[in-house]
Amino acid sequence: MDLAIKDISRHAGKFIATILGVGLLLTIVFIMNGIYRGIIADGVWLIENTDTDLWVVERGRGGPFNEQSRVRMDMYKSVQATPGVMQAGPFIVYAVQRELAGKSQQFSIVGYDIAIGLGMPGRLIAGRQITASHYEMVADKKLGLQLDDKVRLGVHDYRVVGITKGAVDSGGNPLIYLALPDAQEVLYQMDNQAIYASRAASLQRLLNAGLSQEDAERMLPLVSPPVDTISAVLVRLRPGEDPQLVKDLIEKWLYLSVFSSDDEKNLMLEGRVKRISIVLGTFRILLLVVSIVIVALIVYVLTIEKIKSIATLKLIGASNWVIIRLILEQTLLLTISSFLFGYTMAVLLKVSEKFPRTLYFLPFDTTSIFLIMLVGGILASGLAVWHALKAPPALALGG
Amino acid sequence: MPILQVERIRKIFGEGALAVTALDSIDFTVNKGELMALLGPSGSGKSTLLLCLSLILEPTAGRIIINNEEIYNNGWTNVDVRRFRRENIGFIFQGHNLIPFLTTLDNVALVMTLNGVSDRDARKKSIEILEYLEIAHRADFYPSFLSGGEQQRVAIARAIANEPALIFADEPTASLDTERGFKVMELLKRIAKEKGSGVITVTHDHRMIEGFDTVYELRDGMLVK
Repeated sequence: MDLAIKDISRHAGKFIATILGVGLLLTIVFIMNGIYRGIIADGVWLIENTDTDLWVVERGRGGPFNEQSRVRMDMYKSVQATPGVMQAGPFIVYAVQRELAGKSQQFSIVGYDIAIGLGMPGRLIAGRQITASHYEMVADKKLGLQLDDKVRLGVHDYRVVGITKGAVDSGGNPLIYLALPDAQEVLYQMDNQAIYASRAASLQRLLNAGLSQEDAERMLPLVSPPVDTISAVLVRLRPGEDPQLVKDLIEKWLYLSVFSSDDEKNLMLEGRVKRISIVLGTFRILLLVVSIVIVALIVYVLTIEKIKSIATLKLIGASNWVIIRLILEQTLLLTISSFLFGYTMAVLLKVSEKFPRTLYFLPFDTTSIFLIMLVGGILASGLAVWHALKAPPALALGG
Repeated sequence: MPILQVERIRKIFGEGALAVTALDSIDFTVNKGELMALLGPSGSGKSTLLLCLSLILEPTAGRIIINNEEIYNNGWTNVDVRRFRRENIGFIFQGHNLIPFLTTLDNVALVMTLNGVSDRDARKKSIEILEYLEIAHRADFYPSFLSGGEQQRVAIARAIANEPALIFADEPTASLDTERGFKVMELLKRIAKEKGSGVITVTHDHRMIEGFDTVYELRDGMLVK
């Protein structure tokens, strides 16, 4: 006779409520874990998708993802001319928030040279790559756009020619790919008032420098803010070339900083991802501890409620194992059921694609959480077992 | 034929000047099928004697022999004592002490499964016992849905399920009205007669012991017949 099952079926409501509570806590643990893994995956996805050997960025900068990097547009031609370089392409990436598909959305725009193709969209699930030099875009499914939709960015409409799934920046925001000139235009486009203010400021600076009104107005176009900068130059090396050698050449002669794709990934993981992973890790540990404490408390309370029954069991001759089994089985059932419920909820949330961040559930993480819960639950139920075994059989006697 | 022999039992709590003698030179015998009543006011030592006879409390001195086995004198461990209790002694409590999360049937079957009887056989035999005690119609009810008298009959069913040599009944009528109390006592008499178990009943109520074979009274730890 399985006393644990009998007790659970008698108090099903209490057990189900506990399983729901602990299970939902575990859902949060799974989601935090999923976000953490998702951040890592998202963080390196764009770097991996560009499939380049080197990233050339502004001197002394850790860009283009961890900090802003501005490189002159024509610099990619100089990089292309560096010995050992097979292909070099301009690349720009920046975050924006605009009205899209009827709602305000945050996303990143990636601009690349469509003729060179370095940095082109990956994970295309519908449509095609950008082929026209202007007014075409590839957008991620998360943005809610459809093929052939017209999207207004700045002063132009762009037609959606391709849809990606899972093309996101390091923050998990979906990407829009544009041809480089379009991406630059969207970035640097200013409204008339802003242009007027910028010109007035530049004119005043020239006048302050001692130029006449006529000379200052003549010089004005030359001091306008640059609109043709890029974030980085993507480099693919000739087969067999030593990346370090090419890196040294570019850094020495072009006065730029160069990172390999692995360097970029490390920068990303050490920079943006590290802090958030510490935060998520702390919450995961806290929630796991809270879950274990709740299971322990529930098992302890259930045991205390049964203490007279346990004393009766002892008096009628039940062995200690019968009592230990009663408590341990309930702990295991609570823990395993909560784990299954929590995991199922987390997976359903992921499958529904309603969650705003990328979620990755790795078998290693899932197994680890299960084992931590299981061992933690069993250890925590030790107090209940100890109390039950200490209960004197004489407790059953008397009124 | 004696199934319980108690010889010069003493139980002293504490040591030296603080020592309190709870039981002193207790001697008696209970034969197969014998009904024995144990009376006494609160503090007379009834509970201590019951704890000693139930093998929960080890006497300071003296011998307890149940079914020709001398307890505590064979190098027995707690496990042995518990096994012996399970196989030889049935308990009926003042508060019934049914396991609240088990049905009537399971409460009775439990003691048999603890003795290694299969679930199926235990349930079959439990039904027979419940029929014998005329409570089989409540087999699938949980204790909280039974009246006090019904609960006590289930407790009696549980006590006799393993066909023990001895049944200890601790104030079995205390939580029942007079009519139900008499019925429970009649049942115990019937069980002693038909099943052959020795029944020791601790009670305050002199009205309930009519028809008992032996009546003892405990006074300050001493047994008076």
